[in-house]
Amino acid sequence: MALSLTVNGDHLASTADPTTPLVDILREELHLTGAKPVCREGFCGACMVLIDGTPRPSCLTPAALADGCEIRTVEGLATQGQLNRIQAALDTSDAVQCGMCFPGMVVSLTHLLATTPDAVREDIRAALTGNICRCTGYERIIDATLLALATK
Amino acid sequence: MIPGPQMRNAPVETRNATTSIHVAPSLASALDALAEYGAAGAAFAGGTWIMRSPVRHEPLRAHYVAIGRIPELGSIRIGPNAVEIGAAVTHAALAAALSDLPEFNVLVAAAARSANPAIREMATIGGNLATSDFAAADCVPALLCLDAEVEISSRDGCERMKLERFLEIRSTLAPGRLVTQIIVPRGEHKTAHARLPLRKAGDYPVAIVSLSISVDGTGRVRTARIAVGSVEPVARRWERLDAALIGRPLDPAHAARVAAELAGEFAGRDSVDAPAWYRVSVLPGLVRRAVAAALGA
Amino acid sequence: MSDVAATMDLRRRDAADKLRGRTRYTMDRYLPGMLHAAVLRASVPSGRIVRLDISPAARLPGVRAIVTAADAPGMTGIGIADHPLFARDVIRYDGEPIAAVAANTLAQAQAALAAIEVEIEPLPAALTMADALAPEAPLVHPNWRDYEVLLEGGAREGNVAWEATVVRGDVDAAFARPDVEIVESSFRVGRQNHVAFEPRAVVASYEDGRFHIETSTQVPWGIRNATARLLGVPPSQVRVTVPPVGGGFGLKFDLAIEPFAALLARASGRPVRLVNSREEEMLTCLFRENADIRIRSAVTHEGEIVGREAVVLMDCGAYGGEQIFLTTMTAHTLGGNYRLGSVRLVSRAVYTNTAPNGAFRCCNGVYNTFALERHTDEIAARIGMDPLAFRRLNVLGDGDLGATGQVFEADVLRPMLDRMDTLRDSAAPPPALRDGRLYGRATTVGTWFVFVGPSAATVNMNADGTATLVTSGVEIGSGSMVQSLPQIVASTLGIPPETVIVRAADTDAAGYDVGVGGGRTTVSLGAASLSAAQEVRTKLLKVASEMIEAAPEDLVMRHGRIEIAGAPGSGRTVAEVATYAQARNGPVSGTGAFTGAGVPAMPGCVAGHFIDAIDIPVFAVHDCEVAVDPETGHVEVLNYRVVQDVGRALNPRAIHGQIQGGVVQGLGYALHEEVTIGSNGRVCQSGFETYRVPLALDVVPVEISLYEGAPSMGPLGTKGAGEVPILNVGAAIACAVANATGKRIQELPLTPPRVLELLLDRKPDLALPHIAEAWADNLVRPHKAAQGNM
Repeated sequence: MALSLTVNGDHLASTADPTTPLVDILREELHLTGAKPVCREGFCGACMVLIDGTPRPSCLTPAALADGCEIRTVEGLATQGQLNRIQAALDTSDAVQCGMCFPGMVVSLTHLLATTPDAVREDIRAALTGNICRCTGYERIIDATLLALATK
Repeated sequence: MIPGPQMRNAPVETRNATTSIHVAPSLASALDALAEYGAAGAAFAGGTWIMRSPVRHEPLRAHYVAIGRIPELGSIRIGPNAVEIGAAVTHAALAAALSDLPEFNVLVAAAARSANPAIREMATIGGNLATSDFAAADCVPALLCLDAEVEISSRDGCERMKLERFLEIRSTLAPGRLVTQIIVPRGEHKTAHARLPLRKAGDYPVAIVSLSISVDGTGRVRTARIAVGSVEPVARRWERLDAALIGRPLDPAHAARVAAELAGEFAGRDSVDAPAWYRVSVLPGLVRRAVAAALGA
Repeated sequence: MSDVAATMDLRRRDAADKLRGRTRYTMDRYLPGMLHAAVLRASVPSGRIVRLDISPAARLPGVRAIVTAADAPGMTGIGIADHPLFARDVIRYDGEPIAAVAANTLAQAQAALAAIEVEIEPLPAALTMADALAPEAPLVHPNWRDYEVLLEGGAREGNVAWEATVVRGDVDAAFARPDVEIVESSFRVGRQNHVAFEPRAVVASYEDGRFHIETSTQVPWGIRNATARLLGVPPSQVRVTVPPVGGGFGLKFDLAIEPFAALLARASGRPVRLVNSREEEMLTCLFRENADIRIRSAVTHEGEIVGREAVVLMDCGAYGGEQIFLTTMTAHTLGGNYRLGSVRLVSRAVYTNTAPNGAFRCCNGVYNTFALERHTDEIAARIGMDPLAFRRLNVLGDGDLGATGQVFEADVLRPMLDRMDTLRDSAAPPPALRDGRLYGRATTVGTWFVFVGPSAATVNMNADGTATLVTSGVEIGSGSMVQSLPQIVASTLGIPPETVIVRAADTDAAGYDVGVGGGRTTVSLGAASLSAAQEVRTKLLKVASEMIEAAPEDLVMRHGRIEIAGAPGSGRTVAEVATYAQARNGPVSGTGAFTGAGVPAMPGCVAGHFIDAIDIPVFAVHDCEVAVDPETGHVEVLNYRVVQDVGRALNPRAIHGQIQGGVVQGLGYALHEEVTIGSNGRVCQSGFETYRVPLALDVVPVEISLYEGAPSMGPLGTKGAGEVPILNVGAAIACAVANATGKRIQELPLTPPRVLELLLDRKPDLALPHIAEAWADNLVRPHKAAQGNM
């Protein structure tokens, strides 16, 4: 049975096994390699995507439950190639290092910006509990988030 | 020397190509499917445990029945005497729904601080109770101290039982039976949830103390239900501590002292993250924190 | 030369695509017709392969190629060639590769692995260094004598893979002095996993008789040469290119899974992708090694260190690898920081039947600094001196001798300690802890180095006024390749750094390079790039002087122009000059090369060392404040401060980013990240549930002061700045926790159970019975310095 996925506005079909993690369909079938399957346990957040507007680790989302959902990946967040607010702030702040965690960071923080406009430093830290970064030591990501929150 | 299992090279190894997922539109449909699949099937709620089967080197079942889209399993009904929580309610939804009811502070804290934000949007209360291999579930001790009951349904009907009883039988639950809701009685309680992850957050707590206490007009403890999670393979009540607190003024330091005297009854479980002795050693401190939090509420 | 400061805080050109999810790391690559590969790994730590039959697997659907030890005849290693690609008859660690399969899909490759029939007879294993050094220990390499020696000078015997010694002065006499206190300390540290977010990954193809390996590595030339060695082909038949690398930290400073994919590509005639699973990364990464350390010092009551001796045992796992080189670094780290009247050190890499260890940011510097600084505090306590005053008295200064007798230049650590005082004193006083937690603070110093070594660069001046920089450098995330190198070239040519194109590493295009690591990118690749750019500059100025009719020495290159100094707007644009030069003489290019100068050590001091003295020392002073929860053993870091010797900061903002990140990695090492090995020889922490790296809630913003002006042979006075930030974090945390608790901290990481164990006095003092009482009894060969070490 074919699955029907809406990814970044495109309607796509997949014949993947229903328990296939969404991240593998995105990467191997659709070649959307922004989401990274780093831990496959839901701890690292590098595979985070928005499913019907909510950040979900795509490693723990089976294809069958993504069927019919509106999926937005990091590739779909920069509209017309323009960086969104958090992407621009992270760029401006020189926050990026190896970059592997940032697709997930950007997804989680895009959601934070939309839902918690009055977030303070500790809120941002708590919101990133499921987004691990091994390079940066986080502070610049938090600074960039505050910058993005301030540039409404 | 016992050889280890084959190291996993890729996440797909144990994925069974014939595994199916039936996304149940209604409870009846889910119960029918579970009955038909029998031992080859299982309920799939948030998926945060089942989807990690490959990481644990466990094979998937042949059939899953996804229950997350069944309306009645996703709702929370707050009545005058009890709160009824659908089994597929997520941790995030549970925490949000009960945040204004101080008597449920323990459950809100358990649901709102477990794992990480994205997992809390997926993981369900029913899954938390039904996963017998998960010793560090936050909601289990929280619901134990709240004297919760569990409703289990099958095609043939439904039954209710105390959570304690459910924890005893859950690993041997007959195929075709599904946790459908959790019923939590209401009351004038002070409650609190003290959990101890090894980092500030984001990992499973190595020990949990949940408590629900009522006090009389003079500030003495009238009723006490304390539950301990993650210290042993299955969460359980700490009835000797309950008994020791009743009739005494509620005081964090005193409660911690009594807990230190009684903590020897816990065997503790050894795991990669923490040794057994550690889980037991931190209990008095967690009791102190829980009592302090309950008093502050 | 135009001012490099004009390009300071240059932003990263690779950030926008990384933020949009567009960057294709090696693991994201996908070629037409590509096969997927998987590796069969041993699941016992020690055994003999009795039978291996691949034929049932070869018959399975989709399987295109299977390779085994028979396909890889060579051996590789550092110092000694002890490491085959696949286990040959003998299994030496749990996880050791036995065969590799390529199939149409990953699932098919997995199915094929399961169908390979392998029978292994278990053999006794030495899982710990104590096991391995026991009198009747099973030998991990019974035929160790037969291995090809790649560098002469190290003593070896049985499970001692390599031994390096330093002896300077009469240590026995120092310890026998009547006016000294003898202070002895023992330490043990566990392994650390890099947790690079991109696992080791490779896409290989085989075309026109040559291998093309696209891989996630820090050492493209190392991969080229080691792959050729293992496969038994000429190195010129291997081309290595490197896409953006998703985290290195030293993990990718050695050969990994590249040869499997290369062999499978040749066997199948198709491109092959091989990506390690996270579990494979967790269990077989080239960890920072576990180590056991004993230090003794003879110190006068005035605080003079008249003698020091130490034994450092480093677990190399089943193969020597990086630890063999790292025996060298004990002299410069544990033997660093302080003036020593006399010193003797032995550093031994020990084989065990465990997964091989490797390089990790500051390598053994991190735990040698932990041991040295804790030992230093124990000395200060014994003689009743303030630990900071003791450090100030003893830190290496201008003209002082290091352990190997090298002469250090300039006072650096002492003014850095002053700088730290200023930083600390200007901060708000520590909050009084009213919650029963214990407060502690510590200041520690550390010595590391820049791993100089050969680098090559070419700069091609394009007629449009841009320049193309061609090196074998790799962007691993630190920013050196996209920030400091274009800044150096741009400032030399007076063009904007954005117009310096940086060619991704390709061993077919650029000359030899040791690799990206050891803090060497900005220094070694930077020096080669600077010299290449200077050649271009000289050529352009010569042409321009004809065009402008002015002497070359009167011309400057700035703002994209070549103009007469003092006459802005005069002259021509760089593009005009480059176009003219190209038409008249052909395209302008320049080449540059660099290698270390080779600072001398004192003759006779060292034996078995790869580096006798350090060309570019790098110093660090760290200070931290902690709160320890006596009920749970949790350590909270309240403040963290770093004064780091950077020589000269080309991009202060980028360096600050490295320091914050490096300190946090060090906090993981100090407090959270634990690796244990089970009785079955397997690492117990197989994923992120049990291997805990710091999360956003666990960290603090690091207060940073960059110390500039210390001498360096690096270009424009630079030193490597990205590696060092992790150096003294374990030390600073351990000293602070010791100060908070009054307990003797001897082990890392300080996880809550370990701290509570100390607080409850559940833990006996660390005993290291496999370190002999008398220093000399720990040597397989009496110290005898080889003549003419490099």
